[in-house]
Amino acid sequence: MRIDPDAELVARVGRGDRAAAQALMARHLPKMLTLARRMLRDRSEAEDAVQEAFLRLWTHAARWKPGQAKFETWLYRVTLNQCYDRLRRKPTLGLTAAAHVADPGRGPLAELENAGLAAEIEAALAELPERQRAAILLCHTQERGNIEAAEILGVSVEALESLLARGRRTLRIKLAHLKDG
Amino acid sequence: MAEENSFDRSAASAEAQGDAAFAARLLADLPSVPASGALQACILADFDAVAAKRNASLWAVALRPVRKLRDAVWPSAPAWQPASIFALSLVLGLAAGALVPSSALTGAGSGQDETQTFDTIPSLDLSGDF
Repeated sequence: MRIDPDAELVARVGRGDRAAAQALMARHLPKMLTLARRMLRDRSEAEDAVQEAFLRLWTHAARWKPGQAKFETWLYRVTLNQCYDRLRRKPTLGLTAAAHVADPGRGPLAELENAGLAAEIEAALAELPERQRAAILLCHTQERGNIEAAEILGVSVEALESLLARGRRTLRIKLAHLKDG
Repeated sequence: MAEENSFDRSAASAEAQGDAAFAARLLADLPSVPASGALQACILADFDAVAAKRNASLWAVALRPVRKLRDAVWPSAPAWQPASIFALSLVLGLAAGALVPSSALTGAGSGQDETQTFDTIPSLDLSGDF
């Protein structure tokens, strides 16, 4: 039986423990926000999606039953569903927004170059179908294994592998000039 | 024919592995998105609101039988009225229990005598002259 590292914190959140809520937020917010930002390519929409996902967490924490599903899997699924909802409401969302992502650890030139590269990669990601994009992001930027990513997406591992293969192929064709070989 | 199929499969597999390695190298360069303080504050404010709502509803559940009793005894009155009357009655009862001497409550003489006095039919002497 796998041990859920969040189970204790979720139980405390269910009892109204603010410190536990803060700890849970600190643990998951950066990755959730990065995922939402890459899915939606719009900072404010991504923040709304993540805030809504946390609201679901605060509301459901008291009813959470450990052992049924891994908490993190559930949280990622909720976040992705929020992203899908927003993409359906505004179909052009992922394609039109600017993609500047600052990296505070580098100099201005490197940052500019890095931002340009990131923008290009994000643009290519945005052109992928939603499910392929989500699969690629979960496996390559969120360090989820195939089994967990499949659980988050609600598909079989074979279906996930198919999504990944098609997504990677498209990315490689679109971005071949960047780093191929 | 079988050799050709096997060759195709291994070529496709090599290509898929190449795609995976390319995607891994490329996406490793993407920086993570920092969360703003304002967003964190909003998320915690949501937590506070949900916790406050939950506490309020717990109180509501706990007080439901009390409200039912109040409505039965004193319909549509503010809660403090039946509560204060009940508290006053309780205090008076306890004070009476503590202060009134027990002989006054259980004494054999006085109470009965008074009863007899009230219950006794006055005797009238009708034999006298009018």
